This record gives sequence, structure tokens and C-alpha cells, in this order.
Amino acid sequence: MAGQWRSVAKDAVDRLLVIAKFGCFLHVTTNYLCSSTLVHGPSMLPTLNLTGDVVIAEHVSHRLGKVSRGDLVLVRSPENPRKIVTKRIVGMEGDRVSFFLDSHGDRYRTAVVPKGHVWIQGDNVYASNDSRHFGPVPYGLIQGKVFFRVWPPDSFGPLGRD
Amino acid sequence: MTQINPSGIKMAIREILSLIRERSVVREAWDVTFLIAKCFCGFHVINTYVATVVLPYGPSMIPTLPITGNLLLAERISTRFGLVGPGDIVLVRSPQNPRIVATKRLIGVEGDSVTYVVDPGKSDRRETIVVPKGHVWVEGDNIYNSRDSRNYGPVPYGLVQGKIFLRMWPPKDFGSLRNSSVKNPPSDEVQSLNKASIVFFWLKNMGYSVNRRMFDVLV
Repeated sequence: MAGQWRSVAKDAVDRLLVIAKFGCFLHVTTNYLCSSTLVHGPSMLPTLNLTGDVVIAEHVSHRLGKVSRGDLVLVRSPENPRKIVTKRIVGMEGDRVSFFLDSHGDRYRTAVVPKGHVWIQGDNVYASNDSRHFGPVPYGLIQGKVFFRVWPPDSFGPLGRD
Repeated sequence: MTQINPSGIKMAIREILSLIRERSVVREAWDVTFLIAKCFCGFHVINTYVATVVLPYGPSMIPTLPITGNLLLAERISTRFGLVGPGDIVLVRSPQNPRIVATKRLIGVEGDSVTYVVDPGKSDRRETIVVPKGHVWVEGDNIYNSRDSRNYGPVPYGLVQGKIFLRMWPPKDFGSLRNSSVKNPPSDEVQSLNKASIVFFWLKNMGYSVNRRMFDVLV
């Protein structure tokens, strides 16, 4: 009887190990190669839909420093570290960025992006909480670069610089 | 010198070819590669999500950490749940150079009012700042020679990578760095107690911290 339990336990441990190994492999792939994300919200209209798109992001470029102006990136929000937002990089370090302070477009301000930071903005400048509100974002908060859209099917295709 | 036997060579080549044909060599090579890959994945996941080894370098944390020669252990679980508070030594990715992870002391979390000496070498001028939402204020213990939040401002919490809790090397300084403070070094009694039951203390204190937490809601 004890032998039966031992073999069952051994079986369970083996299967758990397989699951753990697969989990590790999946995790490394998702964090270092490619991952899929559901993005929603109005801040990237018309590029990304309001009700939710499934996009594929790669996590290689930002580690090699190869993200640049015009790229769609996933960024950990400086206001809420548990939230990851999708925005476009408008300025790299050293760039002068001009943006309007209000929706009328009367007054505008210019900022220089400091070293080690990027300036991100949503494509829908009327409904986006981005660097115009919380300032330039440290490069270390970039999590990945969005390059492809999978859902909805009629918008299937690559995403990138306009 | 022995003569090279041509038929012996032919036999050896025939055997190698048969081994390759049976694919046992290839399978073994594949197995070894797979095993190494699995070990690497496992080690990497532990390094990224549980604990990591840190070799700090630089004068910015004197006297707590010397310029070089220390080996520290940092855990990544507390920072994931926001269980860091003022007084903790944390790993922070530098906002000015994303490839550098610095070791600094956390001075204030979001909402705190931090008073700091702007340039201690030149004057005593102090400034007060309220740490904005989602950010932390870090400073090196050696404020005379440290690039920290006094230079680059409050740091978004997403850049906090881990919390240092143990010094492993040199052996004479082996001990906990939890809630260590420059102003109140632990007494001899507490130090020896720490050295004796380091794991017990860490396990006991893991769920909470003497200082305030970064997030009010626990995951």
C-alpha cells in the first residue's frame, strides 16, 4: 500500500517537474523574446482600437538600445508601477519636444529630453495621459516594442512607424 | 613507434559512422544541451524572481558598504509586492543610464515629504520635496559622493529591482542588512543573534516591514 502511494507521489512530482520546466521555458520566452498583450483604451486611436487589440511585442530591441522615435512601446507607467501602457516614442534623449498645453492649441511648451529618458505620447493627443503630463520616462521602464497586431482580424498586420 | 594499421582505422571509421547512424551520439548531445538549457532557465527564473547576488562598487554607500569587496544578496519578492519602506537598501536601475543598477537607500515613498541637503560639500542648504505618486526617493549613505535622487529626482517605482537583505562576503561582516541604519548600527548582541539565525529572521520578517509599505493594498 505504501509502495502504491510512493509511486503515485513520484508520478505527481514528475509531472509537476515537467510543468515547472515548461513554465520556466515559457516565461523566458515571454520575457525575453516575444509576448502577446491585450491593449485597450482611447489613447492610441486611430492606431489601436478603443475596445481592445491583441498585439505581439518583442523584448529584444529595448535591451539592445534599438528603440527609437516612432516606435510603439510597452512602458511601465511612472504613476502606477503595476500598469503597463502602450505609447509611441516621440523623442529620445537630447531631443527638443514641443507639445500643446491645452486642447485649443494656443499655448505650447518645449522640453528637452534628459539623458537616459524618452518622451512618449499617445497617438490620440486629446485623450492620452502621457509624457505631456508625467514628464519624460526613464529608458529602464520600457518593457518591449509592439510590432504586430493579431486581433481584430480585419486589422491583422504589422504595426510600426508611420 | 607503432605502425598505423590501415584496417584498424577503417574499423574505427566504420564504428563512428554506425554510432552516428544509430544517432546515440547526437541524441546524447541533444540531451546534454537540453539539460543545460533547463538548468539555465531555472537559474535565471530564480535570479529574476527570488533572489540575486549583487557586487556593489563605488563610494556612495560608505560606511554601510565599502567601495568594493562586498557580496550582497538581494531578494526580489518584497519589491514585487511593494513591501519596501524608508530605511531599506534597494537596487535601483539608474534613470540616467538604464544599463546600470545602483545600490541606494530608500529615503521616502510616494507622499512622503523628504528634506535633503542639496550639496553637502559646499553649503548646508536644504530643500524639501514631496515624493510624487508612483515614485520613491533614494539617497546614498555617503551624501558627499553619491549620485542619487538629489541629482536625478524621484525615481519611478518600476525601476526598483530588489531589496538587499544579507551581506555574504567578507565573512567578518556577514550579517543582515535589513533596516540597517547609518545612525543606529546594530549592537553586538543583535549582530551575533543575526549571524546565528539569519534565515529564521528573514522568514519571520518577510511578510511585513517595520517601516511603511509602498502600496497600501497587498496582492
